[in-house]
Amino acid sequence: MTGELKPITGRAWVFGNNIDTDQIIQGQYLTLLNYADMAKHTFEIPRPVFASKVKKNDVVIAGRNFGGGSSREEAPKVLLESGIGCVIAESFARIFYRNGFNVGLPLLIIPNVAKLVTDGETVTVDISEGTLSVRSSGDILHGKPLPKRMLDLLKEGGAVAWYKQSVGKH
Amino acid sequence: MGYTLAEKLLASHTNDGKATAGDIVEANVDLLMVHEVLGSRILDVLNDMDFKKVWDSERIVVVNDHWAPASDINSAEIHRRNRNFVRDQGIKHFFDVDCGISHHVLPEQGLVVPGELIIGSDSHSTTYGAFNAFSTGLAATDSALILATGSCWFRVPESISIEVIGEFQDKVMSKDLILKIISDLGPDGANYQSMEFHGETIDNMKVGERMTMCNMSVEAGAKCSPMLVNEPVNKWMETLAPSKRWKPTFPDKDAEYCDSLIYDIKKEPLGPIVATPDNPTNGKAVREISGVPIDQAFIGSCTNGRIGDLEIAAKILKGKKVRKGVRLIITPASKHTYMMALERGLIKIFMDAGGIVTNSTCGACIGGHLGVLGAGEVCISSTNRNFKGRMGHQNSRIYLASPATVAASALKGAITDPRSVE
Repeated sequence: MTGELKPITGRAWVFGNNIDTDQIIQGQYLTLLNYADMAKHTFEIPRPVFASKVKKNDVVIAGRNFGGGSSREEAPKVLLESGIGCVIAESFARIFYRNGFNVGLPLLIIPNVAKLVTDGETVTVDISEGTLSVRSSGDILHGKPLPKRMLDLLKEGGAVAWYKQSVGKH
Repeated sequence: MGYTLAEKLLASHTNDGKATAGDIVEANVDLLMVHEVLGSRILDVLNDMDFKKVWDSERIVVVNDHWAPASDINSAEIHRRNRNFVRDQGIKHFFDVDCGISHHVLPEQGLVVPGELIIGSDSHSTTYGAFNAFSTGLAATDSALILATGSCWFRVPESISIEVIGEFQDKVMSKDLILKIISDLGPDGANYQSMEFHGETIDNMKVGERMTMCNMSVEAGAKCSPMLVNEPVNKWMETLAPSKRWKPTFPDKDAEYCDSLIYDIKKEPLGPIVATPDNPTNGKAVREISGVPIDQAFIGSCTNGRIGDLEIAAKILKGKKVRKGVRLIITPASKHTYMMALERGLIKIFMDAGGIVTNSTCGACIGGHLGVLGAGEVCISSTNRNFKGRMGHQNSRIYLASPATVAASALKGAITDPRSVE
């Protein structure tokens, strides 16, 4: 699944600061054994309509410290399962950041992004370039380019694919 | 320039012996703890990896603790998968649903050793910093990779030095101190960083009190929170892990810290702190919110379910009755803790006071079972997180506090300063 990262165009779902992993997927759903069932409860507390309205390649945009709290990998997994193409935030909590790339969910840091994009707008994200453009205004926001290690993980399709590739080499 | 505790602990696990803040290093893991995440998620990842055999069956600990014993059919299936994995892979250290909470059981079994690199599939794995270990939480995919290879990549964290001096007042606990510190830092104040604790207050703490501090450092985003070895840790290791060989690790005198904080709790006396909904870093002095009515009071979890926590709660509850209409739930951190509480007469005190004592499990803390909150209910809890919906219904509200404050509040039916109770 090695390949280039294509630009992602979709609806922006904008959230505030400190969206913890219980807000992404609540603890009570962690014993569900498949992600399709679990994804129906994504963002159930902060945005009850999210799971029924989200479309493939939509983009989650958030303020500071997205994904704090529990280490649950279910958080980035239900976003992927919901069709989310990438998450852009002003900063990410440590374990969520790692988990996102491990499961193949692109994450980008752009300063003030939650204030500069309005919920519902159509945006296009170029992960390789680290940019987000807003269709209605034509504004382009620039983020930090991703570390090479993270880009490689995404191009490979996540940590498992990367592992198989590197084990195959040895 | 010298090195911090986090740098030195990680450097001793890299192939070239080097680790400087900001570097990405590959490090060899000494111990990996996995709980229900093994059966629910990690096994699927291992299947994708064409995994055959664990890297070392003696360096992996499997614990069934979150929904113990099984709360529903799904958790029963997860536990069953874990038992099968333990059998098929010949895992040496397995703690099933009768044992208690991983972060207490591992140290109690002598499996946490100073100087080691310990990873858990759980964010509260920072707890083992109390033992001078580098420990942190990762999730399913990283755990699967470690299960297969025994190594993992880490970004070496910058360190914040936190020095604490002075003695605690009566009925003020290390929980109050850590709630104060993380409230000063904020929910991401230590993101990606190591919170390195120093000072006479930390040196004088019992092991359990230290574990409470390290447990909650993650609520400020910390990657790890190592402490120096003190006398109680020495005694703990001599008693519970006499066969282990280890040396204490110290930071260099000229280590470089990104920030240095000093708390003098003698000069600026620390009172009980309560974190208001919906974040553990919303700490306020108890007097600012005393009188808020509660439906449930919970003492338990990897943060504050240990014997010292049960003892102070029993001291406050002895010979008294919990306010009518309030549920007091006590969940000892481990079976061993439960047995000690039984022998010391604490269980009788709790039950005489009208409390419910459950088996050892994460249970109510994660909204799993044995104390789930309903719509609109208010709980004061000795646990670590009060995120919206954490303990049950999304409209329930959680206040985090020390076991002393929880016990005093259970008696009054409202948030209460434990110093005001005889």
